[in-house]
Amino acid sequence: MSLGVAVAALTRASLLTTMRYRASFVGEAVMAVAWAAWTAAPLFVVFDQAPTLAGWTAEEALAVIGFFIIAQGALEALVDPNLRAVVEQVRQGTFDFVLLKPLDAQLYVSLHRTEPIKLVHCLVGLAIVAHSARAIDAGAVELASAALLMLAGLTLLHSLWTVVVSSAFFFVKVDNLSWLIRAGLDAGRWPVSLYRGVVRFVLTFVLPIGLVTTYPALALRGELKPSTGLGALVISVLFGMLARVAWIRSLRRYSSASS
Amino acid sequence: MFRAFPTLLRIGLAEAVAYRAELVIWVLTATAPLISMFIWDRVAEEGPLGGWGQGEMARYFLLTLIVRHITSSWVVWELNENIRTGGLSPMLLRPMHPLVFFVAQNLAAMPLRAVILAPLIAGVMWWRPELMWTPEPWTVALGLLSAALAWVIAFTVQVIFGSLAFFSQQSLGLFNVWFGLWSLGSGYLFPLELAPDWLRQGLLWLPFRATLATPVELLAGLVDGPSALRLVLAQLVWVGVFLGIAALTWSRGVRRHEAVGA
Repeated sequence: MSLGVAVAALTRASLLTTMRYRASFVGEAVMAVAWAAWTAAPLFVVFDQAPTLAGWTAEEALAVIGFFIIAQGALEALVDPNLRAVVEQVRQGTFDFVLLKPLDAQLYVSLHRTEPIKLVHCLVGLAIVAHSARAIDAGAVELASAALLMLAGLTLLHSLWTVVVSSAFFFVKVDNLSWLIRAGLDAGRWPVSLYRGVVRFVLTFVLPIGLVTTYPALALRGELKPSTGLGALVISVLFGMLARVAWIRSLRRYSSASS
Repeated sequence: MFRAFPTLLRIGLAEAVAYRAELVIWVLTATAPLISMFIWDRVAEEGPLGGWGQGEMARYFLLTLIVRHITSSWVVWELNENIRTGGLSPMLLRPMHPLVFFVAQNLAAMPLRAVILAPLIAGVMWWRPELMWTPEPWTVALGLLSAALAWVIAFTVQVIFGSLAFFSQQSLGLFNVWFGLWSLGSGYLFPLELAPDWLRQGLLWLPFRATLATPVELLAGLVDGPSALRLVLAQLVWVGVFLGIAALTWSRGVRRHEAVGA
């Protein structure tokens, strides 16, 4: 079975599941808009008091919010449901069936429970970014590099989640941990340059939400140095390798339900 | 009931200790005020805003964090779960009101919450020592009373949304909507004093600030005598309103309750 066929089949299955519940699409869209307004509201209060903050105007900080909403949408559509299912499978022992499939287990679990309906959030986030990009008057190069950094950031989130889920093979009950990390990622709705010292370091390198939301916004403003951008890409590749190693090492720990 | 209450508290504390790892995670999940604190600290860097310097910002958000945890409960999830699964039925058979049990359960977790929060509080105080202030005894007394009232309101609201599970499958979704509005309107994410005028005026008539901003502002010494009293009176009104609604939804709901064994 070729890889492409498998990926297409898994994607088709998720899409078909979503289409069965077409009515909830409207509900999700309404929720997405309300959610975006809720996320952006504190920003308007802050910038009502200070026209610029650490070199960011309201419009520019809005781009960060846009990338934050895209990241959260991608997390809820593509990352979290897939990887959270693994925790359950490990607990119940049904993870055996995943391992028996003639397909790389990491690839399979990354796709088997996708919830495409949540991608509506990404559309709303994209709309916010587009609005901000027009206000900033970003050119083609800026847009392309922002898109590249955003994709790097999303793979980084996926790697981060893979590492968390890998720990399920050791500690079994880790879904609460993913909530804790989400609370930490919440800091990413603000430009990471607003934080100082240890907090900024953590948000850039340890729980690198700054890379996911702030760096694409900086690229959009044309203020990201090429070296910093490259650094961000390297970090996301490193996280990807870390995730792969963590996954393979944890699989070795899996004592199946039957053997 | 009054003889059973100390025992219920002991059970609640034992439960909290048994689930301490989860409690740590839940407490740490509700630390959004710290993020807001860093942002508003930056806003006040260039100079105080309407009398709010970096010290006031840190004080406000530290107290927000503390009051948030003093007033927090999880009875909405407990009720939802127990109504759906029928776990409420045996509780209804006991010779005391099921809500008394939940009150004890939520109050008993408080010492452990304080232990978990202590390092964070110490960290903030070390980071911004200028947040320290000498509070007047009467604002502290009124602030503590106000925090207790805020706890009652927050708990009652959760009971209302929890007992909506008697009628609807969507009660948790409705509660999430409430929580979203609450976090914007209660002073949780930004100080209401610094919000645009129209928003602040509108929020005076809504219940959200009574569950958080009122005790925080009183304890921080940010409001003066007459308006402090007015705010606490408003809290009393909301306590009455929500207790009335809760009594109604609860008694109607229990009559409808048709879970296994009920």
